[in-house]
Amino acid sequence: MESSTQTTIEIPEAMESVFAKVEQRFGEKLLGTSFFRGELSITVAPADWVEVAAYCRDEPSLAFERLDSLLGNHYPARKDRPFEVVAHLTSVSRTARLRLKTQLAEGEKAPTLTGVWASAGWDERETWEMYGIVFEGHSDLRRLLTTEDFEGFPLRKDFPLRGTVGGRIRTDLKGKI
Amino acid sequence: MTDFIFLLIKGVLWVAVGVGMVPFLIYFERKWAGFFQSRVGPTYAGPWGSLQSFGDMAKLLSKEDVVPERADKAVFKLAPYILFVPGFLVMALIPFGPLNVDIFGHKVDLVIANFDAGAIMFMALGSIAVYGIVFAGWASNNHWSLLGGLRCGANMVSYEIAMGLALVGIFLMADSVNFSQIVDGQAGNFWNWYFIPQIVAFVIFFISSIAELNRDPFNVAEAEQELVAGHMTEYSGMRWGLFMFGEYVNMVVMSAVIATLFFGGWRAPFTALDFIPGFIWLIGKVLFFIFLYMWIRWTLPRYRYNQLMDIGWKIFLPLAIANLAVTAVIVSVVQR
Amino acid sequence: MSASDRDTAHPMQDHVHMRKPKPRPTPEELRARKEATRQRVSGSVETITVSMGPQHPSMHGVFQAVLDLDGEVIVNTDARIGNLHRGVEKLAEYRTYHQFIPVTDRLDYISSFAMNHGYCEAVEKLMGVHVPRRARYIRTIAHELCRLSNHILWLGVHIMDFGAQTFFLICFRDREYILDLFEMLCGARLTHSYARIGGVAKDLPEGWEHKCREVVDFLPKRLDEYQRLITQNRIFLKRSVGIGIFTVEDLHTWRVTGPCLRAAGVPRDLRKDEPYAAYDEVEFEVAVEYNSDVYDRFLVRMKEMYESCNIIRQCLDNLPDGEFLAEDAAHVLPLKKNVMRDAAAMVQDFVHVFRGPQVPKGEVYRAVEAPKGEFGVYISSDGGPKPQRLHLATPSFFHGQAVPALFEGEMLADSVGIFGSADIVLGDSDR
Repeated sequence: MESSTQTTIEIPEAMESVFAKVEQRFGEKLLGTSFFRGELSITVAPADWVEVAAYCRDEPSLAFERLDSLLGNHYPARKDRPFEVVAHLTSVSRTARLRLKTQLAEGEKAPTLTGVWASAGWDERETWEMYGIVFEGHSDLRRLLTTEDFEGFPLRKDFPLRGTVGGRIRTDLKGKI
Repeated sequence: MTDFIFLLIKGVLWVAVGVGMVPFLIYFERKWAGFFQSRVGPTYAGPWGSLQSFGDMAKLLSKEDVVPERADKAVFKLAPYILFVPGFLVMALIPFGPLNVDIFGHKVDLVIANFDAGAIMFMALGSIAVYGIVFAGWASNNHWSLLGGLRCGANMVSYEIAMGLALVGIFLMADSVNFSQIVDGQAGNFWNWYFIPQIVAFVIFFISSIAELNRDPFNVAEAEQELVAGHMTEYSGMRWGLFMFGEYVNMVVMSAVIATLFFGGWRAPFTALDFIPGFIWLIGKVLFFIFLYMWIRWTLPRYRYNQLMDIGWKIFLPLAIANLAVTAVIVSVVQR
Repeated sequence: MSASDRDTAHPMQDHVHMRKPKPRPTPEELRARKEATRQRVSGSVETITVSMGPQHPSMHGVFQAVLDLDGEVIVNTDARIGNLHRGVEKLAEYRTYHQFIPVTDRLDYISSFAMNHGYCEAVEKLMGVHVPRRARYIRTIAHELCRLSNHILWLGVHIMDFGAQTFFLICFRDREYILDLFEMLCGARLTHSYARIGGVAKDLPEGWEHKCREVVDFLPKRLDEYQRLITQNRIFLKRSVGIGIFTVEDLHTWRVTGPCLRAAGVPRDLRKDEPYAAYDEVEFEVAVEYNSDVYDRFLVRMKEMYESCNIIRQCLDNLPDGEFLAEDAAHVLPLKKNVMRDAAAMVQDFVHVFRGPQVPKGEVYRAVEAPKGEFGVYISSDGGPKPQRLHLATPSFFHGQAVPALFEGEMLADSVGIFGSADIVLGDSDR
């Protein structure tokens, strides 16, 4: 069972055409692609991030109208580019999905997708507060889920699960807020 | 001297009845709500939970009386009283029996104040009650309260006019603005009551009275889902209780006024039933209208505030004027 | 279930035809209208700022919307969430795939089986587990029961937002029947934790099918009763028709999904578009409305409830025999009753509890049609027994984000209804 699941890489025809289209347009700008369980992932450089996303949305034969989710990821083992931003695009009209990824170094800024899909707003805020990935051009990068005085970036792998960092009751602010 | 004693007895009794009704009205409202919502309502305090309101009252009295730090304190404390004192005053105008009744050899009017301009007085006092809500909204220094107070003010302005005009038809028919004489005008069996010729006025008056009482579907002032509790947001303990109390007193008074104006007041539906005291008929009619108010409250959703104004200005006001004109013509033709 | 039966199960249809077609504002008009409101206020008019929530009676949960009001018109909104944040995604990285299932209950606690199910579908996709047919049917039934219970609760709360308090309790009465079914099914009424990787936790208990059939035969009658109370209620129509209109482009760009999207005329339903469980084996219609206002969102959800009853009935009719949990030693927990009797099962249990399942390396994204919208789960695995990263794209998160765009230019009294029509649960959005 397991060996079979490891090797199955079926590429649906719909995905094939999507990939062909994106590759034809961007060619060498695609840093990597992978298929897994019928899902296509495309890695691009942060500089091309918005361009690829906007192309995927605007190109009529792709028509990814929707950003299903945008999230960050942290791979401490990768020393040069430990952070990753993953976007899942969905085409409602064509019932297709596409995953876009970009890798970032510590402190490197990612361009924002809010200009392409408004729903990226909160996703990017969340990614910023959880990983410390700054989205350049985001108009409203405030903490979303954690308290204002939270310290650290909780979803990074070096952040402990338990502890007393942040989120405590601030006695020093008594009477000021 | 005897007049004064009788006045005192009447006043104390009538007020006692009005006030004594309120806890049970609240109880009945909750029981009815339970009935409409397929649950049982209060059951624990007293037989069938009938003493529930007294328990609530004890709870409210023992609660801390919170006055917000930045509230306009004097007005804040005054506001609940402004709401319910006019209600009591209107009670004095409602006749609960005929004039010049012979009791123990004394001629007694079965009304506390046989005031000549009774209906006008009622309208005037009704308008004063609004100040209670507007003051409460203003003095609380809270945005929700302020919005509630403003809504209430606007609401009252739009409905008082239609209400007043609806009443003029009655005045024309009774040829008087005195409550006692209006009741006399409806002497006889129930088809002589004014709600038949004045059905339009009755509908306008009844619906406007719901708005005046701030009950669903017109309770925009304390719209729980939008304004938290509207003008009552900052009130707690017995001050909040006074608001509730005032609302129920107003409900009793409004029902009594409707019964008096349109449903023959203390008169029995058939002259054959006149042996039953008028007082009981009046209470019965009052309870019926209170039940109507409760029924409507627990059934309908709420209008939006501007839709409410639309109904008041665009439907009821023209309708009331038309009703007045038609009544005036008919009355002048018939009486000649 | 014959075709004629299903036609009669749509009393909604008449109501829909009875409605007069309204002139619907074009996206440009809408935008111009909202812009005009903003212009009117941006000048010298003084606005007041009120904080709606987190402790506001009509904010369903601890949602906070800071509203700038010009009189009663909302000109600016700042939506804030996070008061219920529990760090679910961080927790997932410290739990094996099996251990995380109860945590998913706490996402959308109104329809927790849908959350279990979505998560398990994603994990099964990652692991390549084949779910037995019976398990898929049971999942479909449970998922649709969840949708029913969610929509009934939503309906009660939504109508209460408009001030009709009785309706709320009437809806609770009927939701109780569904919760009782769930209680029989898995012992829990709200946090079901019923789905397992590779199937469901328990087989259907004895007599459950009969009970379930009774409920789905009886609920449409209750739904008709609701219709009589609400669908043509003049006050409700006044409060909901033409309020909170969202264009299709806006819906896509804000990632608004589920009934809200279908109310705008987009027949997007993952049950049809990306079938999971047994949805490809049952017949049902996707409820679609076209005006995208509060009223149409109500109609869509009402229709969906009738359809859910249909789906459950079909599943009960065709319920296959067989296993309710996949036999897949590498990925699936063994049955508890076997653990103490069977050496292989005991080892399997031991391995799964102390080490966790064997998972291939890779990343998957799987979305299911939860009652509130599309619930997507992203899992990135590095081959270990715990996810390397797990992300939950929950519908309420995006609906909450879209609220400002929906609110601006509307009246304060309507904001409550609009917010309710988006159907937001804060456990879902804050994670």
